[in-house]
Amino acid sequence: MPANLSAASKAASSPDDDKAAISVKDMRKCFGDHEVLKGISLEAHKGDVISILGSSGSGKSTFLRCINLLEIPDSGEVRVDGELIRMKQGRDGRQMPADMRQVERMRANLAMVFQSFNLWSHMTVLENLVAAPTHVLKRPRAECLEQAEALLKRVGIWERRNYYPPHMSGGQQQRAAIARALAMNPKVMLFDEPTSALDPELVGEVLRVMRSLAEEGRTMLVVTHEMGFARDVSSQVMFLHKGEVDSLGEPKEMFARPPTQQFKQFIANFNK
Amino acid sequence: MEFLNNLLDQLSTAYELLAAGWGVQLLWGIAWTLAVTVVSMLIGATLGSLVAAAKLSQRGGLRFLGESYTTVFRGEPELLIIYLFYYGGTQVLTGVARSTGSIGPTDILNMPSFLGGVLAVGIISGAYQAEVFRGSFLAIHRGELEAARAYGMSALTRFRLVIMPQVLRLAVPGLGNVWQLTIKDSALISVTGVAELMLSANKAARSTHHSLLFYTLAGILYLVMTSVSTPIFDKAERYTSRSFVRPK
Amino acid sequence: MDPNFYLSTIWSVLKALPLTLEIWFFGVAIGLVLASGLTWMRASGYRLGELFARAYVFVFRGSPLLVQLYLIYFGLSQFDFVRHSPILWPILRDPMYCTILAMALNTAAYSSEIFRGALRAVPVGQIEAAKAFGMPMFTRFRLVTLPIALRLALPAYSTEIILMTKATALASMVTIMEMMGTAQKIQHDTFRPIEVLTCAGVIYLLLNLSIARLFAFVEYLLSPHLRPPPEQSQQIKPVPEVL
Repeated sequence: MPANLSAASKAASSPDDDKAAISVKDMRKCFGDHEVLKGISLEAHKGDVISILGSSGSGKSTFLRCINLLEIPDSGEVRVDGELIRMKQGRDGRQMPADMRQVERMRANLAMVFQSFNLWSHMTVLENLVAAPTHVLKRPRAECLEQAEALLKRVGIWERRNYYPPHMSGGQQQRAAIARALAMNPKVMLFDEPTSALDPELVGEVLRVMRSLAEEGRTMLVVTHEMGFARDVSSQVMFLHKGEVDSLGEPKEMFARPPTQQFKQFIANFNK
Repeated sequence: MEFLNNLLDQLSTAYELLAAGWGVQLLWGIAWTLAVTVVSMLIGATLGSLVAAAKLSQRGGLRFLGESYTTVFRGEPELLIIYLFYYGGTQVLTGVARSTGSIGPTDILNMPSFLGGVLAVGIISGAYQAEVFRGSFLAIHRGELEAARAYGMSALTRFRLVIMPQVLRLAVPGLGNVWQLTIKDSALISVTGVAELMLSANKAARSTHHSLLFYTLAGILYLVMTSVSTPIFDKAERYTSRSFVRPK
Repeated sequence: MDPNFYLSTIWSVLKALPLTLEIWFFGVAIGLVLASGLTWMRASGYRLGELFARAYVFVFRGSPLLVQLYLIYFGLSQFDFVRHSPILWPILRDPMYCTILAMALNTAAYSSEIFRGALRAVPVGQIEAAKAFGMPMFTRFRLVTLPIALRLALPAYSTEIILMTKATALASMVTIMEMMGTAQKIQHDTFRPIEVLTCAGVIYLLLNLSIARLFAFVEYLLSPHLRPPPEQSQQIKPVPEVL
């Protein structure tokens, strides 16, 4: 049984319930016979930073990818700012998006940062930042360029703005990728293990940027293995175990008194 | 219904023509095509391994020669090389024979067409095979060569035990491609008068005025030859890389 | 040695260069259009289109270009409807059009395989990033997939283009007096095949080397992200081996 329902119910009863920046209800996903997500729900309000923890294979990355429909969930609903993403039955009986335009609009509001950066390798850093805002949001190019330069200054790689991604370190690439996400002025930012592909000495620079984003009140969903970040920066921690929400709650509380045996074991393994 | 009748008509004409001797001609054509291809591949393998060795050599001069060979013979139209060996060969042979007086001053000593054709196609095939061999050699794990050296193997032993088997294994898919290329190039030596498949089809088409039938047949036969070789090379690849597959 | 003979031969063959280039250009250009269509069919996911493209590639790669040329030039005129068609007949009785058609059909098969390979080699993550930023399919293709795939396809495609330069020589087999045909005529008239073919060979080689250089240059221009980073950009990159 999910041990800590209080945090979830508290969130559900908050006054601007229907204005949750993002809400997911009962999401399920199978790969073949393997059930990866067994009905996961989540609600994030403006300014929430939710860390999603779990050992590998717990379904945490799949969950994040199902939210912006990079993976199509088998069932469940996603609402962004109260707007339901409409799904329909595909010809093969599986669920599929009813309106691709709506999905694209939704994705533009949920900027994603990937584990392996996925910067477009044939564009310079600056072009990477400008591409989506000009072509998806149709904003004027000059304005986008100005914003891009400001964002690059903020993440500390303005000097590298004319570099191509393969010419930069992993840490610099990930900071560029975060700037690329910020350039969309997203409502929610999705981080998919943003530091897992980095050399240990480069993790710090990326975490510093993420911490500053949290501090300025961005809404973030962060799939991560960084216990320090989860404990000190996030406003909520969600622990997934075998495709289910094992526990959910305030990070200080969760780490001080692990509500379940699984979570206790999980942090014990990390502190080793 | 009319279409069906038409088709039956065509088929019976085709059968009559093939039974009248053109079928046998085409079969001989296949035999000659295969002969030309096999001999050319062998010439090409010999030249190709030498050229690959030259291209991998430490000596600048040898490397230049190897590079030039592959550049020239992959950069020239195949037809030109074939003409060069056939007519050029005739020119040389005639010149030599005339000057030694073994033929009259106005006589011509023709280059044997099979020899001329096979040399030309073999040399082209050699250029492509050289690239395949060179690529395979470069793909061998450096560490294995070092290990062989560390165990004190002589150059010859190293070549025989470590390099050769690996180069062969890695070269099989590439050689399969060159083999198909060589089959297709062999069609061009019909211009020298070797009675391979293309020339047989040509003769049949010209004398019966059924070009559509005979060129289609030739096309199908070439397709059969190139596609039959694919599973053979696949099998060879499995055989040569058997140490890389987990035994069942 | 007779320098005048060499010079006059080279001059005569060079006069046929425009014709060779014409065949080459139209063959390659039409082939490119067909190849794009085939690649699209193959990638579209429609069973029928995919089947057609596979069969097409199998047939045109598996048989010699000369057979394809003869089949088009000599074979198709056997059909009554071809001879009576006001559109088909003017094309199919002209050896020039037939050569261009055969070359285009042939190179389309090879090129579509190259393009398909390049499309598959585009890193999935970068396409996914484009999706995650809300780019519609066409924008995604134009901004991310296509530019990356083009760069990946370029080396193999330049080799294919050079094969096409060599293939133009087959036009001489259907009476066209392009460079090869011209060289052959001179060779028959003078009975000095070695000298004549050497002259033609030098021209073909120079032509192919220039095409290779041109492609290497385009490739260099299009792939700044694959060059060494700016600090080391003073180092001269060796021209990639294309031939």
